Amino acid sequence: MEENQWLIKQLEELERESRDYRQKALLEATIALLEEQKKRREQLQGELDGTLWSPGNWNI
Amino acid sequence: MKTLIIVSHPTVEESGSQQFLIQSLPEDEEITLHILEQTYPDGQIDIEREQALLREHDRILFQFPFYWYSSPPLLKKWQDEVLTDHFAFGYRGTKLHGKEFGLVLVIGLPEKDYQTGGQEGFSISELTKPYQAMAKKTGMTYLKPLTIFQFPYLTETEKKALLIDYQQYLSLPQPISLKRKEEWMLDQLAKTSKDTLPKESAAFVLEAAAEAIEDNRMELDELRLHIDNYDV
Repeated sequence: MEENQWLIKQLEELERESRDYRQKALLEATIALLEEQKKRREQLQGELDGTLWSPGNWNI
Repeated sequence: MKTLIIVSHPTVEESGSQQFLIQSLPEDEEITLHILEQTYPDGQIDIEREQALLREHDRILFQFPFYWYSSPPLLKKWQDEVLTDHFAFGYRGTKLHGKEFGLVLVIGLPEKDYQTGGQEGFSISELTKPYQAMAKKTGMTYLKPLTIFQFPYLTETEKKALLIDYQQYLSLPQPISLKRKEEWMLDQLAKTSKDTLPKESAAFVLEAAAEAIEDNRMELDELRLHIDNYDV
């Protein structure tokens, strides 16, 4: 997801150049969606870490 | 799925929020915009025509400014005259069964006022009970409303986000989830016109964005799978 940063910059540029208001909104929403996905990934990774470190799940 | 937006506003041409919503509508033949005050300037509602419109659509939305915890008068008149016995309720009154019903409310005060202890003292869920009861009685599924608080104070970014929320509210299957938003976005990115994007690399960037959304989704699903498998 690191390449998202490059992509987000490109999308921001497109948004600035777009001549259609609804398209501008769509491009901004695309960036917001990519950021939301990133947040969910961090949450799930945290949840997975917590699960892996929980002795209850070690099955010993 | 076909969506019918029934708008009621005494001066819709002069309303910034209503004009914004109307301009936000996607070019989609599955969506019908129906402005009551423009259709019936004399207030005489064609009941048969209205009932036919209702039958043709799957998702029915009322869109109006929230005046005194209710709608402008023509929409109330519409309810009284169109939602008749044997059509909307009562014996064989099943014509609306299985449809979805939602509200698009434009509200002049801030959201924080609509709660116990807030200035208004009641939540929007409480104040919209008559519409919930109407949906229940007519066999329609009541959707979470789209509430727009203090439209004139929205920032440009908030307005653009509202435009997208509104478009999604019109057509996305409910309940709206991140996964459904992703699918919607992929569809829109494929459809958006390249003519309004002067940059040469526009098509490439749009494609890269679609790919990133799909890749991220795969990663999210994989993580979820790992978590579920550890859950013993």
